[in-house]
Amino acid sequence: MDSWILTLVIFWPLAGALLLLIPRRGDDVAVRNGALFVSVFGFVLTVAAVVQFNRETAGGVSADGFALAAHVPWIVSGDQESATVDIAYRVGVDAISIWLLALTALLSPLAVWSSFTAIRTRVREYYILLLLLQVGLLGVFCARDLLLFYVFFEFTLIPLFFLIGIWGGSERRRAANKFFIYTLAGSVLTFAGIIYVACFAYGATGGTLTLNLATLTELGQGGDIPANVQWWLFLAFAAGFAIKVPLFPFHTWLPLAHTEAPTAGSVILAGVLLKLGTYGFCRLSIPILPDASFELAPVVAVVAIIGIIYTALAAWVQKDVKKLVAYSSVSHLGFCMLGLFSLKVAGVSGGVLYMVNHGLSTGALFLVIGCIYERYHTRNIDEFGGLARKMPWLAFFLVFFTLSSIGLPGLNGFVGEFLVLLGAATSAGTRDGLAPGPLGYGYVIPAALGIILSAVYMLWMCQRVLFGPLKEPPDTPDTSTGLTQDLTRREITILAPIALCCVVLGVYPAPVLNQFEVAIRQNILRSPASMMHTEIGPPDQGFFDVGVESSVSKQTLSTEFDAVVATGPGSRPALNDDPPSVSTVTTARLDGRNTPFETDASMATDSSATDVIGFNGGSGYER
Amino acid sequence: MNVETYLVQLGPELILLLGACAVLVVGATKASHGIASISPAVSLFVVALALLATLRLGVPDGTVAPPGLWLTSLTFYTRLIALGVGLLIVLVNWHQPVARERGEYLSMILFSLLGVLLTASANDLLVLFFAVELVSIPTYVLIALSREDGRASEAAVKYFFLGAMAAAILAYGLSFLYGAAGTTTLHVLGDGAVRSTLAFGSSMGGTALVGLLLVFAGLAFKIAAVPLHVYAADVYEGAASPVTGLLGFVPKLAGFIALVKIFGACQWELPVAVNWMVWVVAAVTMTTGNVLGLLQTNVKRMLAYSSIAHTGYMLIALMVGPVAGQGPMRDGVAALLFYVAVYGVMNLGAFAALAAFKVSGRAVETLDELAGIASRAPLAAFALVVCVFSLMGIPPFAGFLGKVYVFSSAFSLDQSHAFRGPLIALAVIGVVNSAIAAAYYLRIAATAYMRKRTDEVLPTGGSPIRWGLALCSVLMLVLFAWPRGLANEARNATVVLHGSIRPVDARLTMSIDDTLERQVQATGSNPADSGFRLPGSEQTVEQMTTTTPVASRALKPTTHSDQP
Repeated sequence: MDSWILTLVIFWPLAGALLLLIPRRGDDVAVRNGALFVSVFGFVLTVAAVVQFNRETAGGVSADGFALAAHVPWIVSGDQESATVDIAYRVGVDAISIWLLALTALLSPLAVWSSFTAIRTRVREYYILLLLLQVGLLGVFCARDLLLFYVFFEFTLIPLFFLIGIWGGSERRRAANKFFIYTLAGSVLTFAGIIYVACFAYGATGGTLTLNLATLTELGQGGDIPANVQWWLFLAFAAGFAIKVPLFPFHTWLPLAHTEAPTAGSVILAGVLLKLGTYGFCRLSIPILPDASFELAPVVAVVAIIGIIYTALAAWVQKDVKKLVAYSSVSHLGFCMLGLFSLKVAGVSGGVLYMVNHGLSTGALFLVIGCIYERYHTRNIDEFGGLARKMPWLAFFLVFFTLSSIGLPGLNGFVGEFLVLLGAATSAGTRDGLAPGPLGYGYVIPAALGIILSAVYMLWMCQRVLFGPLKEPPDTPDTSTGLTQDLTRREITILAPIALCCVVLGVYPAPVLNQFEVAIRQNILRSPASMMHTEIGPPDQGFFDVGVESSVSKQTLSTEFDAVVATGPGSRPALNDDPPSVSTVTTARLDGRNTPFETDASMATDSSATDVIGFNGGSGYER
Repeated sequence: MNVETYLVQLGPELILLLGACAVLVVGATKASHGIASISPAVSLFVVALALLATLRLGVPDGTVAPPGLWLTSLTFYTRLIALGVGLLIVLVNWHQPVARERGEYLSMILFSLLGVLLTASANDLLVLFFAVELVSIPTYVLIALSREDGRASEAAVKYFFLGAMAAAILAYGLSFLYGAAGTTTLHVLGDGAVRSTLAFGSSMGGTALVGLLLVFAGLAFKIAAVPLHVYAADVYEGAASPVTGLLGFVPKLAGFIALVKIFGACQWELPVAVNWMVWVVAAVTMTTGNVLGLLQTNVKRMLAYSSIAHTGYMLIALMVGPVAGQGPMRDGVAALLFYVAVYGVMNLGAFAALAAFKVSGRAVETLDELAGIASRAPLAAFALVVCVFSLMGIPPFAGFLGKVYVFSSAFSLDQSHAFRGPLIALAVIGVVNSAIAAAYYLRIAATAYMRKRTDEVLPTGGSPIRWGLALCSVLMLVLFAWPRGLANEARNATVVLHGSIRPVDARLTMSIDDTLERQVQATGSNPADSGFRLPGSEQTVEQMTTTTPVASRALKPTTHSDQP
């Protein structure tokens, strides 16, 4: 049965953009407020979608794991019963999509609101483009048809091109062009790959040229795509996605685009747009091309690690604070890729959570930097100092999001980072009931070095900007547009919800992670059952269960999911309040001093404990 | 078949012919300007009437074949898009030359459209040649008339001389084909079966080969393929923008339809040499077009090179050829037909946008003149950007679907197809090229929106050109969201070509039987050349008796039941 809510969520900003044409010329206030209303209402709609998603999936997920589906034929040929071409407007969400959707919808009003004072020319066009960008981003996460995915994926280029090119910094036109052409150059190869997949599906499905992701995933997971075809397709997909992520060495467009983009553009770019690349890997490459993903995972991981280290070093030496955050962004997304390509439940859920976390904390960092830039009209670190004395609120948020970004335990960044490293380290194991993954400890050590570097340059940046003797550029701060010395109430209201999300996800990520695991097992990773064509047994073992051999030999896996992460002393039933799955879950508490490796080792030796790592933010870490 | 049937079935062509003459006469009445100024309205009416007649007549069932012609579903499709885009062309050219020349001018447009329609119906080498020339000759006049400017005359003369040379090459090639086939007829219609006279298959001799190469060369000029593309930039630059919009579509459509006709008569069993030649031409055409496009600062020259590049993409689909029953995603010719229609609209839109305003007394041509136009003429600039992004092949515009269709037709070739590998390589060259092309299309969009403008911009051309421009850009969105109508028509248009090279599927075969029965009942006379003589060896005879269903009408139900 079709559900209209996703369509509404996707296209509401488009309708809103048209509404913005109504105010008279020059009535900027109405345009601003209208844009804010549209994006807030879009967020409300998304919340409604999330609620409905949770309700629909509460009693067990639908057959293909996607809820809120809708389907409208688009490119169709042949009779209805024997359609030879079946490309449609298909939308639907699983847990991964819905949370990225929520992230997008949360950042949208904040981005709009943050532009109220910063954007003073061509106001109407600006907000229309910002809303159009939302359409593309929301659409990508909902698309269940590969061509539709690509349509939204590509469409995002147009509004962002204009956003950077019109309202950007001094080198805006070069940045906009470079951004557009660079990303397009990669994604045309993805386009070729997509078309090839369609034509391949025609042969494999017996005469239907389809780009339905469900069908394609089935083909991929069922091993119907030959290895050499998978290789080529993987490379074609990676061409587009790696540039979008961006993976080293394709990241050079990003610092320029970020530096030149207006604040809201940077927020959306870092917060959501980069996720299109990782989401593409996660949603397309890994499920549809499992063999190639497995074989090429070490390559991707090595490239990701080189990127982590290289861009961390590059970030270290940046003088422009925005560029510094941009490089940190590249570095952090390397972790995300590492997690995804561990091809384990822990790593992939870590990677997906990392996408959300990175969206929150880096998006917020760009907002804070936007606040600084609006006041001082420079982003050069050398020109500031000791701002904390004059701007305590700003200092609080900057430090807070820096800590979130570098993975302070208790904040969201840590959970994702930990799971990513755990996933990569235990990739070769089979503890989660899946086949051994391609990575191992060797990949974790250099990546962990990246974490240290990240702490170094981020904290150093904070220190130079906020602490020490007060230093301000001459004739600043500029309060001519109604700004105050410290953050205004509007700016605090923009940053506070993000901070709240950071804390919530850091302290209590279990519900989200539980949903992720269900989605990952169903839609992303190839289950041994589908490879070996055996029945999936009842869930009797947890993910971190130590009885590895037995769980695998019995060919069981916890489809219902027991609990990756439960909180506090009381264990938490996984996805829902379904009592049977609770029985196997007991609690293990993480010692705060444990490094990820130690944690893993301690768990491996503790044969009595079942799953569960506690992220209770408080007591677990204070010892 | 009697003459009345022919006249009825050729209604759209006759309406255009009479209408063109009427417009010529109306325009010639210089005494009273009141009458002369209605010639655009009359032209629009004539084209609309012809379009209406086309829709009224529906898809020809393939049994009507006036001497030298054969009305098929391809005819229908061509009428549909030529007249549909023709309406837009008339709108865009509404105010073009000075008032006293408008009658001649618009009648030339109508004659040119008539040539396209006849090309699609031609079933005889000579008729094909005349039809293609009927497309070209009025365009020489159009360019010269388009504005009172030395550059227009220069462009017309250049185009004329080179066009005459191309016509000579084409005629020479056709004479070789005649020599090889022994007849000028392309398809000999028998009782329910069609013999394609050029279907030599693997036994194609040198004569036919030379003929094919020369014909391709002659038509390469019409479609602006390398190496016969050199005129394009100069001519596009010299002619007024509204005419340039026409030049990008009408000759190209005619050239491609003629190629489809000739290759169809060969049943797409092209010799390796021809395949490779077209391959190289396609690859070089798109690369040259896009690379040279990067170097331009004049928007019209830029779009001229883009026109060349698009020819390259379309050649990919042409090489793939028709595949039975799959629609544009797999059928190369259907993809080509879809693409050329979409290209016609988006190209026309881009030129219409350039024609819609004047900067310091002259039409907009260079990037500098276009700078910051969005602040002065926001709607026209928006329409321009829509068309430019569509040309770039970015969703959500129809140009993107055109690319999907063209490239997918290459990727979807059967494993057994001998030329599959090279064609896939060509498609990959194509997608890479579309990324290169983005660079110069982006410059147009960026110039219009991101640069500052201080001087005034005057709108010109009145409301018709604005309407034409608006329709072009809206069509880009509509065809993206709802491609099915046009795609199904494109698919139907290739039905006549299907039986020639691929095994038909079960449904198709049923329909063919149906047709045969119907034709037996109708005891239709055979209008084809009964004096047809088979040249060559025994083997050739076998090759030539391959039958093709005359099945367009009968296939209609299977293809039109595509309900959502």
